[in-house]
Formats: sequence, C-alpha cells, structure tokens
Amino acid sequence: MTDSLHLRLAPETDSVTTLLDALEAYTDAQALPIRAASRLMLLADELAANVIMHAHGATFLAAELSREAGTLRFTLTDDGPEYDPLRRGAANTQGSVEEREIGGLGVHFVEQLATTAQYRRADGHNILSITLDAGAE
Amino acid sequence: MQITQSQAGALQVATLEGRLDTATAGAAEAQLMTLLAPPGLVLDLTNVRYVSSAGLRTLLKLAKEARTKSASFSLVGLQPAVREVFEISGFDKIIPAFGTLAEATA
Repeated sequence: MTDSLHLRLAPETDSVTTLLDALEAYTDAQALPIRAASRLMLLADELAANVIMHAHGATFLAAELSREAGTLRFTLTDDGPEYDPLRRGAANTQGSVEEREIGGLGVHFVEQLATTAQYRRADGHNILSITLDAGAE
Repeated sequence: MQITQSQAGALQVATLEGRLDTATAGAAEAQLMTLLAPPGLVLDLTNVRYVSSAGLRTLLKLAKEARTKSASFSLVGLQPAVREVFEISGFDKIIPAFGTLAEATA
C-alpha cells in the first residue's frame, strides 16, 4: 500500500474529477474514517477549484497527499500568478435564502475543517498546504 | 452523478448518487431545474458522499428558484459529512432537511 499520492493535472474543471477519483481510491485503500475522507475530498475540491478559477496562465496543477501517523497533509502547487486564497474575506453564513451568496465558502470550510492551512509563494509557484485529522470519524 | 426521478404523492423526488462537486454540480443543476415545479421537489441525498461549495451553490439556486415558483424544496438523507458541511455553511437554517422521505412529504 502506498502512503503518498502525487498527481500532475491540467488546470481545468475536468481535472477535479481525476483528483477526487484518485483521493477516493486512496482513502478507501487507507481505510480512512468517512468523515476524514469526506473532509479531505471537500477541501481538495475547494482548493483545486480556486486554482482553476483564479490561476489564469497556470500550466499545471500538482497535488500531493501523504499520511504521517494521524495527520493527512495535502498540498496543491500551481505556476499561475500569485494568489493566496486564504486571504479572502469570510463568507456570509447567516443570511436568508434571498441574501445568500456562495463566495468565500470554500475558504470558510478550510478554516473550519483543516487543522492547519498555509500558503506560500516560492520559485514562481503558489503552494498551498493543509493538514487534517486522519482519524475524524 | 446519477439522478433518478420519481414521485411521492404530488411531489417530485430526485434521487442523487455520487458526488455533488465542482465538476458535477453544473450538469446536476440543469437537470434538477427542469424537475422543480409546484407543489415541490425533494432531493434524496442518501447516496451522496459529499457536497462541495459548488454543490451548495446549486442547492441555493434551486431554493431561490423554488421561492420564485412558489414550490417547496427540501432534502432528505443527509450523510454525516454532508450534514457537517451544511452546518458550518449555515445551510441547515435555510434549506429544510428531513431524515426520511416520509417526513419530507408529510
């Protein structure tokens, strides 16, 4: 059983399916609890979608996943313009149906569900790394 | 994402299976919009493993469209991970969710 996953994808919407299929296979093979697996896939989807929407000019999107003891570490790297999704404003989670918009919810999920989240810019790449509790039931 | 259509009394029921994510939400939305008519639509999410913010956007559009059409719109069978996403996004306060189809159509 491999403990890490590496994927290099085109920065387009269809790649999200490839990424989530690979993560689903990984979480099944690792027999991760359902909540840990679902949180991982949710945050991977949100972060990849962010890159695809905002990183115009990126030529690739690379995903890495590893497991160290009770922690999952997921890292996304792209070569698009500098963009830190963690600096977006918080989402409105209180309004009525009429008032509600969706912008910023992905980042809200990262703040609520990830143990840590870190963005850095290095060598012309955006590198976003999150850690999650691998034991979340 | 597979969507199966049925009826429970006068209500339309759409049973979803798969992931409601960035890649699938758009097609699901187009299909579900055609099923949304008075008296209302129930989405059965028992076989949906998770819903991303793209999926929430689809559900929000359906909820808004339901208001416009004076139709009801509700969900059944939220799995724990989906329920978690609903709670932290505040969607549990704006879209009614029931445990079973019988409760949703009562």
